[in-house]
Amino acid sequence: MRQFVIIGNSAAGIAAVEGIRKKDRNSKIIVISDEDYLSYCRCLISYYLAGEVKEEKIFYRPESFYKDNNVELFLNKKVSRVEPKKNRLICEDKSIFGYDCLLIATGARPKFPDIPGIKKRGVFGFRTLKDAKEIAGVLALTKTACILGGGLIGLKAASALKKRNVEVKVVVKSKQVLSQMLDFEAANFVLRQLEKNGIEVIFGQDVSEIIGNGDIKAVKLESGKVFGCSLVIVGKGILPNIDLIKETEINTNEGICVDNLLNTNVSNIYAAGDCAQTLDVTTGTSSVNALWPIAVEEGRIAGRNMAGENISYDGSLGMNSLEVFGLPVVSLGIYKIKEDLASQFEELKFQDPKANIYKKLILKDNLLVGAILVGDIKNSGLFLKIIREKINVTSFKERLLKDNFGFPEIMDLVNARSKLYV
Amino acid sequence: MKQLYYKVDKCLGCKSCEIACAVAHSLSGELFNTLQEEVLSLPRKKVLYYKDKNYPVSCRHCKEPKCVDACMAKALVYDKEKGMVLHDTERCVGCWMCVMVCPYAAIRPNLKTKIPLRCDRCNDKDNPACVEACPTGAIIWQEETGLRV
Ligand SMILES: Cc1cc2nc3c(=O)[nH]c(=O)nc-3n(C[C@H](O)[C@H](O)[C@H](O)COP(=O)(O)OP(=O)(O)OC[C@H]3O[C@@H](n4cnc5c(N)ncnc54)[C@H](O)[C@@H]3O)c2cc1C
Repeated sequence: MRQFVIIGNSAAGIAAVEGIRKKDRNSKIIVISDEDYLSYCRCLISYYLAGEVKEEKIFYRPESFYKDNNVELFLNKKVSRVEPKKNRLICEDKSIFGYDCLLIATGARPKFPDIPGIKKRGVFGFRTLKDAKEIAGVLALTKTACILGGGLIGLKAASALKKRNVEVKVVVKSKQVLSQMLDFEAANFVLRQLEKNGIEVIFGQDVSEIIGNGDIKAVKLESGKVFGCSLVIVGKGILPNIDLIKETEINTNEGICVDNLLNTNVSNIYAAGDCAQTLDVTTGTSSVNALWPIAVEEGRIAGRNMAGENISYDGSLGMNSLEVFGLPVVSLGIYKIKEDLASQFEELKFQDPKANIYKKLILKDNLLVGAILVGDIKNSGLFLKIIREKINVTSFKERLLKDNFGFPEIMDLVNARSKLYV
Repeated sequence: MKQLYYKVDKCLGCKSCEIACAVAHSLSGELFNTLQEEVLSLPRKKVLYYKDKNYPVSCRHCKEPKCVDACMAKALVYDKEKGMVLHDTERCVGCWMCVMVCPYAAIRPNLKTKIPLRCDRCNDKDNPACVEACPTGAIIWQEETGLRV
């Protein structure tokens, strides 16, 4: 009987348990998490903060999951380092676990800018249920909040606070919101929606200082301008949690480098989810695509391979879906083209600002490589499939953005043939 | 396990199935009243026209469903016994991740209710409403094995 150890009890870790158990019902599985909760839906903490999802609905698996899958779970336990040569890991509390096969599914943590005041009480990251609870705990005393960063996390936090009747100012360094998922035009649709709902966004500025003795009183912008607030939420990107292997022979770059089997360069150590770096199918480079569905997919494949299967992961793809006060937004693959490379790409566009609809497809050599969809997202799954399977769109290019474009048009071109239509 | 099949040569594109679907999923379950309801019931099936033929499109309840993996609220579960993706609308937050990853574009966002629309095979009814409504017998509801055309 082998002993599997999984560090991380979230999307990737849970999927790995299920992956291992597909094949191996008997070996021991140990899951270690430094959080104090059973596995929960991390992406729902903004809904929790907004009061839209109650705590009992945020859990990702029932308590019985661990027993049913014969998993020994350790919560509130932080692994401080892995010792690959000894096949063991050491925790902060000095406890030691041996393993035959290890999965690192430690996810990521918020990046905090190095500015005066960042350690003050009242400055929060927005990553864990604990963060959300602590923020919820100070709302009664909060009139104005400042969000650092206009990315997905920042905007989700901003919307949640607004729904709790807190005044919100979002400070964004670049010229647009969601610069990691949208082009400037699409971002403007989102901006209008935010403004319509009472969220103020300040562009081209960073916060240079958080002011206050003890509690926060204000933030200061690079321009020197100061505005009052008592709560700061930081959404300036994330860092993969890879410190625990920093001193080992395991290869890392931005995240932990893995091959198509999710195996690191040490044969009995795997990595999956936000801490791992995999092939991006649109850019062809190795990168961290820190997304829930990707963590699940990678975790499951890693688990199955740890249990002795040989399943190849065909790579990840930047994609996301977001709902901004009722406006749906989806971004897939390449969403922005660098000016000097513009001649290599082709853009197809449709927009109807009155109806809040903006759709853009990006093509290269008649292959779809990216899409932005605002307001009308119904065909996003089809576009994703066309991107993933590298389907040549020459023959139906002008139909792609039509309202009645649908699966039948690509049915004969996709890998798995459809058997439903007889 | 039963599955929905479509004899596309028989489909006239009349959209009776779409209407029957919307009615079956309305509060009243009856056409006239369906149209009066405050939140209009929308069909979970769409008939799309392509190269002289009509193709009804709806959730296929894939065995390795992308939508279930993508659901960040655990509102979707694949039920092996029923051979269906079950959708817990109480847990659903309307994030549209399932819409984003459905390779058939068979899950559609209902922006009014913020709940995605997908075929539930009319749950426990013997025959899904679309099957009963199809005037040409183009929709077949039968076991996956043993399909003979
Ligand atoms: C507010 C918010 C909204 C989001 N919205 C979306 C969205 O809309 N769509 C989307 O695709 N993604 C979204 N995400 C991202 C998504 O949550 C992550 O991609 C996903 O959680 C990654 O899963 P994971 O299992 O790799 O890592 P994580 O979920 O980060 O889990 C890793 C776990 O390991 C633990 N851990 C780390 N180090 C150690 C250690 N040394 N010892 C013990 N335990 C350790 C961590 O505490 C954590 O519990 C959102 C995230 C947040 C915070």
